[in-house]
Amino acid sequence: MAAGRAGRWFLLPGLVFLFAIDLVPLAYSCWVSFYNWWLIRPRDIRFVGLANYTRFADDPEFTRAVVVTTLFTVGAVLVEFLAGLALALLFAQPFKFLRPIRVLLLLPLFVVPVVGATMWRVIFHPELGVLNYYLAATGLGPLPWLSDPRLALVSITLVDAWRTIPFMFLVMYAGLEVLPAELFEAAAVDGASAWQSFRHITVPLLTYIMLLAVLIRGMDAFREFDIIFVLTGGGPGTATQTIQILNYRAFGLGHMGEANAIGIVTLIIVAVMCYVLMRAVLRPQAAPS
Amino acid sequence: MKPTRLRATLTGVALVPVLVWTLFPIYWITAASFKTELALYARPPQWLFTPILDNYARVLTNIPFFQYLKNSLVIAIGTTLGSLVLGTLAGYGFARFHFRASEAVRFLVLVTRMAPRMVLVVPYYLMMQRLGLLDTYTGLLVAYVSFALPFSIWLLIGFFVEVPLDVEEAAMIDGCSRLGVLIRIVIPIAAPGLVVAAIFAFLVSWNEFLFALILSGVEAKTLPVVIAGLNTDAGPLYGEMSAAAVMVMLPNIVMTLALQRYLVKGLTLGAVKG
Repeated sequence: MAAGRAGRWFLLPGLVFLFAIDLVPLAYSCWVSFYNWWLIRPRDIRFVGLANYTRFADDPEFTRAVVVTTLFTVGAVLVEFLAGLALALLFAQPFKFLRPIRVLLLLPLFVVPVVGATMWRVIFHPELGVLNYYLAATGLGPLPWLSDPRLALVSITLVDAWRTIPFMFLVMYAGLEVLPAELFEAAAVDGASAWQSFRHITVPLLTYIMLLAVLIRGMDAFREFDIIFVLTGGGPGTATQTIQILNYRAFGLGHMGEANAIGIVTLIIVAVMCYVLMRAVLRPQAAPS
Repeated sequence: MKPTRLRATLTGVALVPVLVWTLFPIYWITAASFKTELALYARPPQWLFTPILDNYARVLTNIPFFQYLKNSLVIAIGTTLGSLVLGTLAGYGFARFHFRASEAVRFLVLVTRMAPRMVLVVPYYLMMQRLGLLDTYTGLLVAYVSFALPFSIWLLIGFFVEVPLDVEEAAMIDGCSRLGVLIRIVIPIAAPGLVVAAIFAFLVSWNEFLFALILSGVEAKTLPVVIAGLNTDAGPLYGEMSAAAVMVMLPNIVMTLALQRYLVKGLTLGAVKG
């Protein structure tokens, strides 16, 4: 196999570009986060050390944002994982029109996120929405989908699930596809029930893929912005204000030091999640399969 | 035969609610875009109606839609070209040259995709402000290429390693340079991979909202920002908003349907072999 030298000229442009565009802003962000830096007062920038970090350490709004982000991330990933797995298992048995139906189920993942959120905002509308009309007609509603503090987070989770169940489905479906059929045939010959072969063959063999899907989705849900911004903007009050929305607001107020400090903290959290992912992914590849 | 038929029925019963849940929002906004104002607010909701094009006509004349469309298209096409050139080179590099830590570097490329965009956009804003690149195509273009590139590289590695080595070696014996081999031999063989990478890169740029919201003001405003701006609870805009939303998601739907064969491979990034 060809080694080093010539490969450098193929790899360098892309890698240099990628790391420059990511690392330079990150380094700059770190630097800004140590300053009292307001966008409207460019002449009055003072070094304040860790003040931007210590400020939100005991700020109830930040604590609240951490709680909201955690609730949203865990809730969304859990719902999406279970639904995706159920769908993948359903599609593991071939049926008529499997392929066209599969494509239709994938559509939400590719629709512009802002447009997807807009669709749901129309559906959720308290008076004009189609959902509340039929809920009222059946005596179950109307419900304040986006204006009730508790329900708003559930509604956002639902919309996120609508958009990304296809991702979970696709990853686990691909994982199921490559499981050796002989194992299931042998189990069936030995008289294993469907549940038994799921529990003792599918789950252990699919664990790696499941873990991967949950971690990738977890990191994506953690940094979700578009859907929340369009549906509630973080409201009502601060009920759906995730760390990302809080960060956006700090930016909007022109408080660059704080906005960057929040960003750096988010990055550290994601980096830890990434590290876990890397460990999980690189290990099984090292083992001969 | 019996159990098979039973299973088919059960599958059908399970699929109907799933399909409704998935497709209803798309159907409903598309229907809304063709409704008159009267039909939009009708109680009970109207399922059958005479479609009209007024909403489309209004959104195209009331806001500079074509200007925004041009912004979105120019930036998306630029992103596609940029990430294809850099992605092809790097993808080929990873596929054909192995060096110490190449596995780790390859993974690091993927990790850059994971950084929360909010962390990047704030310092990026300050830098672009200093460079005078706020509200320009360039500012967004550079950011979007960096978003699309990790994906392109990973996708293309998968396609390039499948190109038979002996074809390449034969060309090199005939005096072709490495770059010549890439351009004349590898790219034509891996063309489907390049098409998929191109479409993914296009969609990354076409869909992006946060950077566009923060970095573009008037001149470089892209369509997702326009849609979010039309999004108000003040009812009268519903028709126009729906029409705009449908036009913005149309390319996505068309590309998804065209791309279906490669979706599994593309989205799982080779994490799942298959």
